[in-house]
Amino acid sequence: MDNSIYALIVLSLCLGAGCWLVFLWAVRKGEFDDMERPKHRMLDDDDEEGR
Amino acid sequence: MTAIVGTCYHCGAVIPHAAEVLNDKDGERYLFCCRGCHGAWLLITGAGLDDFYRRRDTAAVTMTAPFRSDYGDAALATHVYGIDGVSAIDILIEGVRCAACVWLNERMIARLPGVSDVRVNYATGRARVIFDAGEITPAGIFDRIAELGYVPRPFTRSAVEDAAERERKDLLVRFGTAVFLSMQLMGFSIALYAGFFQGIAPRMKDHLQQISLLVAAPVVFYAGWPFLAGAWRGIRSRAPGMDLLIAVGALSSFIFSAWAAFTGGEVYAETAAMIVTLILAGRLLEHGARRRAASGVERLMTLMPAEARRLGIDGVETVPAFNLSIGNLILVAAGDRFPVDGTITAGTTEVDESPASGEPLPVAKTPGSRVIAGSVNLSGQLEVRVERPARESFIARVARLVDQAQSRRAPIQQMADRVASRFVPLVLFLAATTFVALAVTGTMPGTALMAALSVTLIACPCAMGLATPTAVLAGSGAAASVGAVFRGGDILERLSRITVAAFDKTGTLTEGRPSVVHMSPAAGWCEETLLRLAASVEAGSRHPVGEGIAACARSRGIAFSPCTGSRTVPGAGVLGMVDGRRVLVGNDCFLADEGVLPALAAEEGGEEGILAHVAVDGAYAGTILLADHVRQEAKALAHYLAVRGVRCIVLSGDRQKNAERMAARAGIGEVYGGLSPADKACRVEELRRAGEVVLMVGDGINDAPALAAADVGCAFVGGTDIAVETSDLVLARPDMKLLGTAHALAVRTLGVIRQNLAWAFVYNLVGIPLAMTGRLTPVYAAAAMAVSSLCVIVNSVRLTKVRHG
Repeated sequence: MDNSIYALIVLSLCLGAGCWLVFLWAVRKGEFDDMERPKHRMLDDDDEEGR
Repeated sequence: MTAIVGTCYHCGAVIPHAAEVLNDKDGERYLFCCRGCHGAWLLITGAGLDDFYRRRDTAAVTMTAPFRSDYGDAALATHVYGIDGVSAIDILIEGVRCAACVWLNERMIARLPGVSDVRVNYATGRARVIFDAGEITPAGIFDRIAELGYVPRPFTRSAVEDAAERERKDLLVRFGTAVFLSMQLMGFSIALYAGFFQGIAPRMKDHLQQISLLVAAPVVFYAGWPFLAGAWRGIRSRAPGMDLLIAVGALSSFIFSAWAAFTGGEVYAETAAMIVTLILAGRLLEHGARRRAASGVERLMTLMPAEARRLGIDGVETVPAFNLSIGNLILVAAGDRFPVDGTITAGTTEVDESPASGEPLPVAKTPGSRVIAGSVNLSGQLEVRVERPARESFIARVARLVDQAQSRRAPIQQMADRVASRFVPLVLFLAATTFVALAVTGTMPGTALMAALSVTLIACPCAMGLATPTAVLAGSGAAASVGAVFRGGDILERLSRITVAAFDKTGTLTEGRPSVVHMSPAAGWCEETLLRLAASVEAGSRHPVGEGIAACARSRGIAFSPCTGSRTVPGAGVLGMVDGRRVLVGNDCFLADEGVLPALAAEEGGEEGILAHVAVDGAYAGTILLADHVRQEAKALAHYLAVRGVRCIVLSGDRQKNAERMAARAGIGEVYGGLSPADKACRVEELRRAGEVVLMVGDGINDAPALAAADVGCAFVGGTDIAVETSDLVLARPDMKLLGTAHALAVRTLGVIRQNLAWAFVYNLVGIPLAMTGRLTPVYAAAAMAVSSLCVIVNSVRLTKVRHG
């Protein structure tokens, strides 16, 4: 019983760390630099190759 | 020829008289104001991107660009840099106002041969273009953007901007880290809370407590590092502020928890984490408001053309403006800006000096006259001798003044900081007293320390830390929704405290363009005929007087007659054939040269405004008087401010007498005329030194140093770029009522901040004595903290309801 709780705690910390790493990657790549444009981008139904 | 009047299909501008360009397509007739707009339309529809006209937010579009780029490859070469073997350039695209603009630019640039990637940032209007230098030159990309009617400019990040961007990213990473770890902490805390009420195995409790401490440590010491560092700076400079309060709150609850974990008490590690997380969120949101404030000085410098045409021994050569030296002769074509300050050696023209003086009327120039860098040569080709190198030109000098004013401006201590600076020492004193009192009365040192720590824990700064950011956010959000954009939270606070409001005259207090106030037709003429003939001649004119006459005719519903053979004489007037009659409109000298004597002498109306005399077939027909009008709302605003004890003054570059007359109409008595840009800034600084909090409202380049020097600089959208960029408060339309609304909102926001701080204070007033006597256990203190933070947030949200006034 106790062991499974510890295992779950470690698992949740690992999951959290994973999300955190993805977040760090996104900040570094500049995903949060322009918060306005993406919401309009999806409306650009265009013949051009997907961007 | 029929006169078709309407708005330009491309740029939305009102077409002065008859549409200059018509285009029939698919049975529909499209009107354009000029060849440039027509060209842009052809380009866009030709590329199959007609959608642009459907998508765009029409109300927001006013593109009045020159449709050609000022930059050659030589000037752009220094801005190109390499990424992974291909070339890239950063371009600031002016005129990007809605998502459709971004879409259009991305599509059109991407279709150029050799361009591999384009990204336009909607928030900043900046594009990064990656291209193959072998297939297309940077100038080719610039030309394409200019053809669309936008203004492209090369752009290199300044060191200040880089630092701000790094700071924002740093804050974002710290906040993200704090959020992820706090979420984990919540899980452990719920288990511990449940254990507290329902029972828990002691070993499990110990382990959970240790894990929570382990998880909370990075939040306090990494995510909370800016507060810890700020607190340390505050102690060293003996100016304790908000940071110290936050640091004390977070550290005390962390140390308390660490102590409790090893002595068998309850831990409150999540309290420490929540303080840091919530306040980081506040900081991040406040930071976002500042983002668009780009470097205004950089924009100002682009008013000077990057290149000049120099007369050399072997003909005309194009050189970068910075290579010009004193005594060089340069050619300046009609419609171009002067790259440097100089003296005219050949040619006559009219010059639009509004960037320098703020005055809308063009000035006539003859050989020997001095011209100013950044002003526009309106009518004739000129030969100009360079008097000052480019880095010493008028524009460069103003840029330096703005720079100096900005660096001198010390940040005003915010109210929350002032409150915190008194509150922190008090809390620390009370905690120390508690410890000493309990220790002296024979309590165990450990228990005494616990009680002392719980005092600082209960004096938790959460409500206090959130008091300002939440109110400022709600307040500036509400202001933005009515069209007043605050650049930063402290501006709201400062605006609410102003004691002096300084206004520029032309373009701010007045509308900045002359309009018809009176007509005196000669015997045998009626007003309508006089106006119709004059307006028909002036229809295509870009001269403010001509525009004023044409606008008056349009507003009276007078139909224009076609005009042929129209000719403009710089600094004098216009003549042309209307209905087979020779019509002259101009000043008295112009008519005298044509052998007509106007009945009204110049002095009679000269004081009040500008006289435009009209002659038909060699006979005097009448005179039209034009004058600049005081904005209707200006008087109401001056009254509104005066009632609230704010002293209103006018700072003008115009003559004292003119400035006084206009100011009197707006109900302002204190007037300083004949001021240079540096004088204006000086006057503002004098007032500030005398202890006043100064609001400066202006729109011209000549106001920029004063706007930067003032506590709050305010400009309208539509003013010059530099004025808008150096302002702390930007109004979305030239409407003085907005300034009143913004001020009222600022006052209400400050009220809410006070209420929030008072609430946090009352909470502490009740909580601290209970904690000192050991009656309030931290479990209840933590719950009370949550409730008090919620109260503060709800109170702030009230601000989002805007009352117009």
